[in-house]
Amino acid sequence: MRSAPPPHQTPPPIPPTGPGRRAFVTGALAAAGVAATGCAPPDTLISGQTRLRQWNLFAGGDGLRMIEMHDAYEAEHTDIDFRATTFTWGAPFYTKVAMGAAGGRGADIATSHVSRLESLAPGRLLDPVDPAMLAEAGIDDTVVLPNIWDKCFFDGRLYAIPIDTHVLIQYYHLDVCRQAGLLDADDRLMEVSGAEEYFDMLREIKAVTGTYGVSVDTWGPWSNFWALYRQQDGELVLGEDDYEMDDDKALAAMEVLYRLSEEGLAPRHSMAADTAANLANGQAGLMIHGNWEIPTLEATGVGFSATQFPAVFGNHRTRGDSHCYVFPHQRDRDPERTRAAVEYAAWMLRNSLTWARGGHIPAYQPVVESPEYDELHPQAEYREAAENVQFEPQAWFSGSAGRLQEEATGALTTLHQGTQTPEQALAQLKGTIRDLLTVPSPV
Amino acid sequence: MTSQTSAPEPRTSPGAPPSAARDLVDVRRGPTTWTGLWFVLPFLAFYLLFLLWPAVVGLGYAFTDRSLAGGPLSFVGTANWRESLTDPALYDSLWNTLWFTVLSVPLMVLLALGMALLTDHARRLGWFLRLSFFAPFVLPVAVMTLIWNWMYNPSLGLFNGTLARFGVQGPEWLFSEDTAMFSVVIATAWWQVGFNYLLYLAAMQSIPKEVYEAASIDGAGTWQRIGRITLPLLARTTALITVLQLIGSLRVFEQIYLMTMGGPNFATRTVIQYIYDSGFVGLRVGLASSMAYIFMVLIIAASIAQFRLFSRKEA
Amino acid sequence: MVTSTTRPAAPTAASAPARPLRRRRVTVGSTALYTVAALAALLWLVPLLWAFATSVKPEGETTAMPPAWFTPDATFEAYAQVLGRGDIIRWTMNSLIITVIVTALTLVVCVLAAYGFSRFDFRGRSWLFALIIGGILIPPQTLIVPQFVLMTQLGLVDTYWGVALPQVVAPVFVFILKRFFDAIPRDYEDAARIDGAGSVRVLWSVILPLSRPILTAVGIFTFIGAWNNFLWPFIVTNDPEMMTLPVGLGTVLGQYGIQYAQVMASAVLGAIPLLIVFLLFQRHIVTGVAGAGIKG
Repeated sequence: MRSAPPPHQTPPPIPPTGPGRRAFVTGALAAAGVAATGCAPPDTLISGQTRLRQWNLFAGGDGLRMIEMHDAYEAEHTDIDFRATTFTWGAPFYTKVAMGAAGGRGADIATSHVSRLESLAPGRLLDPVDPAMLAEAGIDDTVVLPNIWDKCFFDGRLYAIPIDTHVLIQYYHLDVCRQAGLLDADDRLMEVSGAEEYFDMLREIKAVTGTYGVSVDTWGPWSNFWALYRQQDGELVLGEDDYEMDDDKALAAMEVLYRLSEEGLAPRHSMAADTAANLANGQAGLMIHGNWEIPTLEATGVGFSATQFPAVFGNHRTRGDSHCYVFPHQRDRDPERTRAAVEYAAWMLRNSLTWARGGHIPAYQPVVESPEYDELHPQAEYREAAENVQFEPQAWFSGSAGRLQEEATGALTTLHQGTQTPEQALAQLKGTIRDLLTVPSPV
Repeated sequence: MTSQTSAPEPRTSPGAPPSAARDLVDVRRGPTTWTGLWFVLPFLAFYLLFLLWPAVVGLGYAFTDRSLAGGPLSFVGTANWRESLTDPALYDSLWNTLWFTVLSVPLMVLLALGMALLTDHARRLGWFLRLSFFAPFVLPVAVMTLIWNWMYNPSLGLFNGTLARFGVQGPEWLFSEDTAMFSVVIATAWWQVGFNYLLYLAAMQSIPKEVYEAASIDGAGTWQRIGRITLPLLARTTALITVLQLIGSLRVFEQIYLMTMGGPNFATRTVIQYIYDSGFVGLRVGLASSMAYIFMVLIIAASIAQFRLFSRKEA
Repeated sequence: MVTSTTRPAAPTAASAPARPLRRRRVTVGSTALYTVAALAALLWLVPLLWAFATSVKPEGETTAMPPAWFTPDATFEAYAQVLGRGDIIRWTMNSLIITVIVTALTLVVCVLAAYGFSRFDFRGRSWLFALIIGGILIPPQTLIVPQFVLMTQLGLVDTYWGVALPQVVAPVFVFILKRFFDAIPRDYEDAARIDGAGSVRVLWSVILPLSRPILTAVGIFTFIGAWNNFLWPFIVTNDPEMMTLPVGLGTVLGQYGIQYAQVMASAVLGAIPLLIVFLLFQRHIVTGVAGAGIKG
């Protein structure tokens, strides 16, 4: 609308004027000629290279690791015309994958969360992976942990190639925590158990930083909520058109998020990138975030370490998921490019020590069992976290950046902002879940 | 739906007959052959394929559970319509759209008027003012939102940084439910007011000099001339700009999507975004189609009402 | 806001002579006026200037507080990095190709249709015209879902044609052009017809030369509109290599993270093409708005 001249007025019959006005139209038409004849998207078959297009959702630290791995991959594979694109994490990324697959000209290979497989309509928006081709490239159930491998199947067919498992952990700023007297001789963070002990610790840290105790991503509160809820054995059972949730435990988890910001121990607003910045610049002494922020913090040069998710309710359970590769549906799937995509995925798995440096626990076991992996710090500090991973219940709307997580953000972020009490936020969250259950599954 | 035969034709001058009627009887010379149809045909083909056809099949989709993911399709009767009409989130997004419109229309009309008055009086700065006031209009939306998101950044941005210099703690701008919509409206006004401004400016500069000169001789000061001559003569332009701005504001999507993605807590999600969220993010083509139709009917009704009002004022 | 349409009373003949007071107003009043005007214009340029100021800072200085307008270490490093990545150039090329297709096709089909409606009578003419004008009322934003489905069926998702073709439907321009053609006196054509010119020839050598101003206006506004269109290209392109400049800048920029100098350099680069068009065609744009919007 904004460019259209208003439709309602008669143009005046202005007498024709100088020649300058014609230039524009003529130029436009000439350029159209150029457009019609040339400038088509480059067909790389001509150059003898195999075209391979990868889409991913890795910004920040993961993005840097992936670029590093891709540089190495490209150096080794000069026969591949490889290009990776990073989309905004979450719904924008998954929407582009789905729409690209619906159009049939999407990526050759894309990243995904294992928890999102169901929402991507395997068989329609996703093309299956040939297990034989993958095994030829060196990846099968003997090199991947069975519990993750099983999650890659849908209706008995393989649709995903697992990359890693990732969890929420707690980072700590060495100088700040040392000053607060919270570190032992080996720079390990003092172990606390229970909400009150944890809040006391945060107050001690705040006394040092003057700003916050812990930095949390207030715009991604679902993961923290899920970890806190599961620490209390809270169950979320999603049925056909009904669900079960433990109100008291949910309220207790929400109370923690609410108090963190209300008591000034955590920011009221902190987006993805700001969250790490708050720890790096010493405004907070702790940070609860995904293990994927390790490279971001390393890049800042700040002295930090990491441990498991805080035992606010007496244990270290944490939320987790797995990244994987999927093949978005293509209208004319090219066997050569498909093979190149499978071999690319296998290469990335075999070289996932780099990925592990980014904090994730690789799915490819030979890497995890390697001595090089033992050397990684602080990865070794939270390796037990893998046992404490809490996945979300399966549903088309659950999972990382799924609708439940997205829409729950609306309710849970108000706890940090202080605009809703836990009771109000719980009512909104339950409304959200109820609404999602009444929605007919689109896949 | 496009069998609408009484498209709201504006009356261009008080005495003229409704223009549609005039348009259609005024072929004095044309031979009554099929020649004319051949000329119309290319446009008609585009029109039928890319506008009318989607409009018709979209209506059909609204009665099915069609998914963007494909899969088995079944007729679901009015289920989508019932779900849409009872969906509080749709009403929230309607309200957000309306709120955006209410905030943006007066602002963007008055701002344009003020800027045009300045330009009309400070003539020696004319080129500079036109450049400065209109230039943002030609920016691609993403350029505008990148710049404004950066300026709005609560901890690192220009606004709060400058405020902090004076010891003022700036607002959270796009990150608070209370200020997000205002922030979007301000950025939109900066970006889009140039078009209204040019309309006003053209109208002002088409007022004959003699009218002002005569008033000057009468001893009218600048403000009196503005109040007694310029503004009354601009009444039609104001009505036109208001109508255009209303229609434009009701269709808002892109700058809000790029600035807040509809947040925080959906406080800025507009109807178009909700249709997008339902159809593409949520894959539910059927549901999104029903919402789109509900909104389309509202917009068309609003447009017709506005044109009617506008026309009556003219008559 | 004054909404009255009452015209001011005609000045009486016996009015007072101009007073010397006027001279004073010019000096004091106009100083204030020009100051206000200049400040307003500068204020309006702040976002663009700030974007530029950020883009020439070294990356480490962009987040320094308080914000500084000038850096002693000005550098075009961010531009080099952004351009080196290549995607902005690619998106600009895509925008150019698509915009040119849209502008050319829109002009051609709208001119033909307007000519047909303006100069010929044929069966169904009146209801066809009403049908097309009725299309002005349909907000294209509400058709994105079925239009995308149509594109998947035609196999045009992630293609230039898929982006361009639906944008060609501009009933408004048919309406505007027809009005303009209607106002051209028939006498010119008579002479041509007597010389044996056919319908196409009359259009080409009589109507179009007389319509340059309106064609320029329609052309420029189609161009700006297509260049800056976001929603449809955003819907129909997913492959970053097919995206237009606004869509690419809006959706793929995440990988730059918090490197604000680069983000602002991208914004400045994204602004440049149409700012150039605007500077080149400023007069046409202003008169275009005036011609299409005000008079008549």
